This record gives sequence, C-alpha cells and structure tokens, in this order.
Amino acid sequence: MSDTTSLPHEFQYSSARHQAETAIAGMWLFLATEILFFGALFLSWIYSRHWNQAGFDAGAQQTNLTIGTVNTAILVTSSFVYSVGLAFIEIGNKRRLIQCCAVAWMLGFAFLILKFGVEWHGDFNKHLFPGAHFAITGELSGGARLFFIFYFVGTALHGLHMIGGLTLVGWIIVRARRDEFSPAYYTPVAAVGLYWSLVDMVWIVLYPMIYLVGRGS
Amino acid sequence: MTLRLRRLLLAWALLMVLLAIEFGGSFMPLGRSARPLVLVPAVLMVAAVGILFMQIGRGIAIVRLFAVAGLLWLTILLGLGSLDPLTRTDYPVQGVSPK
Repeated sequence: MSDTTSLPHEFQYSSARHQAETAIAGMWLFLATEILFFGALFLSWIYSRHWNQAGFDAGAQQTNLTIGTVNTAILVTSSFVYSVGLAFIEIGNKRRLIQCCAVAWMLGFAFLILKFGVEWHGDFNKHLFPGAHFAITGELSGGARLFFIFYFVGTALHGLHMIGGLTLVGWIIVRARRDEFSPAYYTPVAAVGLYWSLVDMVWIVLYPMIYLVGRGS
Repeated sequence: MTLRLRRLLLAWALLMVLLAIEFGGSFMPLGRSARPLVLVPAVLMVAAVGILFMQIGRGIAIVRLFAVAGLLWLTILLGLGSLDPLTRTDYPVQGVSPK
C-alpha cells in the first residue's frame, strides 16, 4: 500500500497508490478463485457424507483429534502474528516485521511437521489410507474409504497451499532484510498476509469437517 | 499502534474462544443429521479472520466486490450442489433392502 504519490510507479497507473490498490484487488480476485477451488472440495464432503453418514463418521472417529486441534490453534496464531507484523511495518518498524514473519513462518512449519510428519505417518501405520489393506472393514468400509479419500486429498491440497504460503512469507522476510519496505510501500506484505489468512480460513473449515462432525454421533 | 495491537489481540482471543466452543460442542449428543451444526463456530471464525485480520472493511470498493463475489459463487456452488442430496426422497424398492 502506498500513502504518497511521489513513489515510482508503472506507466499504466496514475499513482503509486493506484498501483498498490490494483495489486491488492488482484490478490482478492485470486482469493475468490481459491474460494471456489476449495468450494468443490467442501461440496464433495456434503455429498459424500449425506449418502454415507455412518461410514463417514466411523472414518472421522479414527482421526487424531489432538493434532487437529493443536494445528488449528497454531495456524490461527500464525495468521495473528503475521497481522501484527503488518501493523508494525505500517508505522515503519522493520525489525518487528521481520520478527513477526519469522514467528509466523515457524508456526506454519510446525503445522506441516505435525500434519505430515506425525499425523499422516500415524494414519499410514494404522492402515487408514484407503488402499488394499484398509483398516475399516465390513458394511461401513465404503463410507470410511470415502471419508479418508476426502481427508487425504483435502489435507494434501491444503498442505500444498501452506508450502506456497511459507515460500511467500520467506520471500517477505528476505525483502524486509534488504530494507525494501517502509510505511510508504508495503504492498507485498499486505498481499501475502491476505493469502496467508485465506490458507488459515480453509483449515478453519476443514478442521470440523475432518475431526469434529463425525465424533459423538 | 497500541490500539491496533489490542484489537488484533482481542481478535486472536475471540478466535481461540470460538475454537474452544467448537471443540467442546463437538461432544454434544446431536443426531447424525444435525452434526453439521458443529460447523457454525467455524463459519464465525472465518468471518472474524476476514473482518479482523484481512480487513475487508478497509479495502476499496472493488476489493469488497471480489470478496462478496467469491462468497456468492460459493453459495451458488454449495446450494445447487446440495439440492439433490438434501431434497431427494428414497422410495423403497421391492426386493431391495434399504441402506
């Protein structure tokens, strides 16, 4: 974002502020397409669970609720810390921006370790991958397999977005260390923050779908 | 700045409270068809992240337009896609046991 008109800008924009607003609007347009991308995944959950409720819930009861809940808190906190960093660069505190981005990055990395290094590892050990030796047998097997297809596809897609987000947050740290941001120019920080929060939002929806709805029924 | 930080901290606390409500609510004895109600706190959390962290309200008009368009098309996608499973009536077929 830009507060002054004296900053350099590309020829097609009337001012640096115009260029910054266009960049943020472009990010929001991209986020709208991401919402629809994950919308198809959410629809598959609604449809599959409706026709296979008992099997779906039997699958959900095998998931690791502790890791899922801790990961949700981690990701929400990461989004919060990044927002604090953005607030700091708006008043020109680059050191705090770098510190906040580093903490947000580490929290995101911790999420990935817990999700794929610990939880997925345990899922494979318990034969919960819907392959040849699937752990849940009997009449609930079909619904449970559908649940775990949703689980692995959903968490893998979200994980890929997390890796993309971590790359972007790392890029912001590198640029901030080069002293490229100031209260007059921090558009990339704001744009990456929007993406990071969207990745958080997607997980906030996936969390109850995977871990909570099927429990207690 | 202090006010901004305090607001962000309150937003984080609100999200944690909603997460706790969601977690605790998932152990309520609800019927299988009513279980998706557990998603209600998640919807509130998404709204809180959008308003308090992404600051939709601070954006220019076209930003709000894109955000609303994304939500509108998501509603259409989920609404139209859910029509069949939520409204179809299964009639018993002779010789076939119901699921």
